[in-house]
Formats: sequence, structure tokens, C-alpha cells
Amino acid sequence: MNETIYPVAIFFAAIFTNNILLTNYLGMCSFLSVSKELKTSLGLGAAVTFVMATTTLLNWIVYHQLLIPLKLDYLRFIVFIIVIAAFVQLVEMIIERVSEGLYAALGIFLPLITVNCAILGVSLFMVIREYSLAASFAYGLGSGIGWSLAILAMAGIRQKLAKARVPKGLEGAGITLIITGMMALAFMGFTGMINIS
Amino acid sequence: MSTEVEKPKKKNLFFMERIYPIFFMAAITVVFISVVSWFYLSTEDLVLLNETLFLKRAVLYAADIEAPDDGYALEELFQRRVRESEGSDPLYFRILDEQGNTQGLVLFTIGAGLWGEINAVLGFDPAGETMTGLEFTKQNETPGLGARITEAWFKEQFRGKKGPFVMVPEGTAAAANELDSITGATRTSQSVLGIINNAVRTAAATAKEVN
Amino acid sequence: MGKVKKVFLDPLGKNNPVFAQILGICSTLAVTNRLDNTVVMTLGVLFTTTLSSFTISLLRKYIPSRIRMMVETLIIASYVIVVDIVLRAYYPDIWKQLGPYVGLIITNCIIMGRAEAFAMSNPPGLSLIDGLASGIGYSYVLIAIAAVRELLGSGTLWGFTVFGDWWTNWAVMIMPPGAFFMLAVFIWVVKGSILKEEEEKK
Repeated sequence: MNETIYPVAIFFAAIFTNNILLTNYLGMCSFLSVSKELKTSLGLGAAVTFVMATTTLLNWIVYHQLLIPLKLDYLRFIVFIIVIAAFVQLVEMIIERVSEGLYAALGIFLPLITVNCAILGVSLFMVIREYSLAASFAYGLGSGIGWSLAILAMAGIRQKLAKARVPKGLEGAGITLIITGMMALAFMGFTGMINIS
Repeated sequence: MSTEVEKPKKKNLFFMERIYPIFFMAAITVVFISVVSWFYLSTEDLVLLNETLFLKRAVLYAADIEAPDDGYALEELFQRRVRESEGSDPLYFRILDEQGNTQGLVLFTIGAGLWGEINAVLGFDPAGETMTGLEFTKQNETPGLGARITEAWFKEQFRGKKGPFVMVPEGTAAAANELDSITGATRTSQSVLGIINNAVRTAAATAKEVN
Repeated sequence: MGKVKKVFLDPLGKNNPVFAQILGICSTLAVTNRLDNTVVMTLGVLFTTTLSSFTISLLRKYIPSRIRMMVETLIIASYVIVVDIVLRAYYPDIWKQLGPYVGLIITNCIIMGRAEAFAMSNPPGLSLIDGLASGIGYSYVLIAIAAVRELLGSGTLWGFTVFGDWWTNWAVMIMPPGAFFMLAVFIWVVKGSILKEEEEKK
């Protein structure tokens, strides 16, 4: 286990210097389509953060307590996806029973989240980098917040963009990608902020 | 009369709605996981072999000995020219020349990179001062940025140099103790510098122990 | 034969999954800073898309509607694991560079999308071709992006130096912003030509 990497440092690094979307390119599909509206972006961001943090934790436990002792670690792709899908399903059912309001706000996002590559990606990175339990949770939570930050910023920009004149060929996905690129450039300015040692 | 016809229909529906999906899911899971497991088990040995060969190849690279592509030839060369230190966790390797005399020393070192561990093997002359080479055996740095430490130009610059080192912007290294860092990967460059300088400082002491 | 041709050509042109719907770029965009990594990744995606569409189509009459997504995911995930295992055993250096992105092929929206939209309601032969074509359509876009990124960012193509010492590397191309910009430019070019076609038709 990697004890030399501190969870707090990973938390901040996951938000800024190694943002799961702007640096690792994950979670693009829903990012591109949902970032048109600020309110929905907020909802999706919250849902993603919640699911990401919890499933990373769950997957760590499953991986280290179940898969490795049984020498089934090569099945982790399937198992992680099942854990994520099952968890999302469970959350959806609970929210539906418990709170109509919350379900109306977040419920529609949940199926979208199951196929969000960022969520599976975070679990896979955690395995490759051999994080401890605390570090994995920090990484999951931080990545979720980082993703939410990116989508909120994008939504804010796109609202202003609606009034600007964009070349026809760039409308929609094109201009969004260019803005994403610029955001990625901007976030690179955070490099050096985090000292992991 | 009609209820008797309905009953088997309801039962059939129950089967189709509840039992069959479970049965299908179980069956298909078993089939696919078996296929996947077969692939895994048949390549397990090869993977293990690759990993040991990888470390050996790294050690030879750090010692500036040309390693053959063929696995068997590599193994044979390794047996002839390298002696691992005692204990299951190799801390260093003693490099022998063709006559069996100590030609150098390769240290195995672990450190923290930006994202995770960085493991490297560093080659030195018998006195533990001048470096013969360097190879990374494990790193999780950003591909295209920090991960460029594994590129040939970065590793080659260590041959024949004496530490401790100082890092300068990429492409400007001139003095004997200057190293090119990686543009855009400041944190990784600094971490790697720290790991290398640490190893350099302990190299002379370890060399005395070995000899 | 006409139908086969149509099924094959459709995803290669205007209905290219990447342009039309920006689908599935996540997993591969990360490795497009090098041409060799990209080719290996796209081959993996191609393999998975073709075979999973084929398999799902073969089983389509037996898959209960309720657990449809779970079954599709299982099948897709199995093929991806096979790709991962094979890469790890026979091409360990490339496998190390690709990292978790191979596993992320599972969440690639294109594969699931084709399974749902086509394979579930079409015969195996056509589904195989559809999967193949979608995979190819996806591949050439990413390979093109990778070629430009590696060339401008490192002066090399497939590791071979193309631009000599006179070339200053555009470091931004190797880094994430470069990938986003390149994809945007690509979409711009393609959409531009599609729009021009429509203008001329009028």
C-alpha cells in the first residue's frame, strides 16, 4: 500500500492539477451535453460527486478484501461496473421513496451517471496507483468536485456564449471543446501548487 | 373453465418474467467469465515472465550493458554478469565483467512521484560515484508529461555523469552536474531529481559495503 | 448487397459516431499524444465493437428485456477484459502506457449505443458489419488527431523523427488542451464541409 502519498494532497490535486476531466479526459459525454444549463449542471455535478466518492470507497473494499484474496483481480472491470450500476440503482430507488423533490431534481441524472466513464475511471486509477483506503476516498471525492467545477464553469461560460456569434461549423460541440481546451490550459497554471512528498 | 386455462398462462408468465431472466443472467455470466478466465490463466505465466524480464532488462540498461531481445539470451547474460544482494527485496545488484570482477553497482530505489510511487534502478561505477545509467521500473506520472522521464533522451543523459545533480530547463544542460528537466512537468522533474540525488548520496557508502 | 453497403458506409461518413454525437472519445483521447498508442487503442475498440455487436445480435431473441443493459454490459466488459489480458501478455510496454484507458473502453458510449440501436434489432451479419464500420469510423478520426498531435508536439510519427532540429515542438499539443483543440478543429472542418454541401444543394 502506498503510505507515502497523503490523502489531503491527493484531494486538492484531484480538483486542480490533475482534474479528471481537464487533464484525464474522462466524463466528456455528459459534460458536453449537460453543460448548457447552469442549474442542471449543478445537479449533475452533485450527483456525480456523491456517486464517485462512494463507489471509489466501495470498489476499494471489494478489490482489496474480495478480489485480491480470491485472485480474481482480473475481473475487476466487470465487478466495478456492477458495483457502480447496483449502487446507482439503489440510490435511485431510495431517493424515489424518500423524497419526491430530490428525485425530481436528481433522479433523471442517475442513469446517465452509470455510463459516465469518469466514475469507472477513478476506480481504475485507484487500483493502478495502489492508493490506500483514505487516499482512495480523497481521490474519489476530489475528482467528483473537480468534475463538478469544470462543468459549472463551462455552463457559466456557455450561458454567456449564447449571445456571442460563433462560426456555424463550431456551434455546439466544436466551441465547447475549444473552451474546454482553454480551461485545461488555465488549470495547468495550478501545477506546482500541490507538493506531494 | 376459463380460470383453468388462465392458470397455466399466469404460471408461464411468472416464469418468463421472474425465473427466466435470473437463469439467463446466471448462465451467460458463467459462460463469459469462463472464457475470460481461460484467457487469463493461459497468459498468467507469460505475464509473470515479462515482469521478471522487465526488471532484469532495466538493471542491464542501468549498467550500460547491451541486452539481447531474446528472453533466454537475456536470462543467460543476467546470470553471468549480475549478482543480486541477499534477501528477497533486492536493494542492489553487483555487476561483473566477463572475467568475474566487479565492474559496477546498480541500486534499486523507491520514491514518491507526483501521483504515486516511482521505482528506479541506478547504475554506478565500482566506487559508487560516476553513473553508468538509469531506468525506471515503475511510475504513474502523467502520460506525455511526467511520464516522459521514461524517454530515451532523459535516461541517456545520466551516463558518465557524477551527482548530486541540479535541474535546468529542457535543452539547456551544459555542466557535468546539470540535467534537462521536462517542460511542463515541473513536479515530476523535481521528485525524480530528489530520488536520484538520494540514491547518489548513498551510492558511495553502499559501494564500500559491496567491496 | 445494397443494404450491406449502406450499413457499412453510414458510420464512416456523416453518421460517424464521433462527429455526429461526440460519442466515446473519452477513453482514447487521452492516448492520442502518440500515434502507436492510439492505433493499439482503436484496434481494441474495433475488436470490442465488432464482436459485441455480433454476439448481442446473436442472442437478441433470448435476452429478457428487463436485464437488457446488464447483459450488454457483461458482454462488452468480457471482450474488453480479453483485450486487456492479451495486451498485458504480448505487448507489456504498450499496455503500461495505456493504463486504465483500456478498461474504459467498456464505458465507451459508442459500443453500448450501437448495441442498443442496431444489434438488438438486426441480424448478426449486419450487426457485425455495423460494429466494424462504427469502429473504423471512430478509429480514423482518432488516428488523424494522434498523427497531428504527435507530429506537432514531438516532431515524430510513430517514434520516427520527421521534423528535424529546426522544429520547435508545440508542447501544448502533447498536453490535454492540445487534444481538445484538435478535436474541435476536426469537427469544425467536417461540419464545415457538411454545411457547405447542404448550402450547395439549396
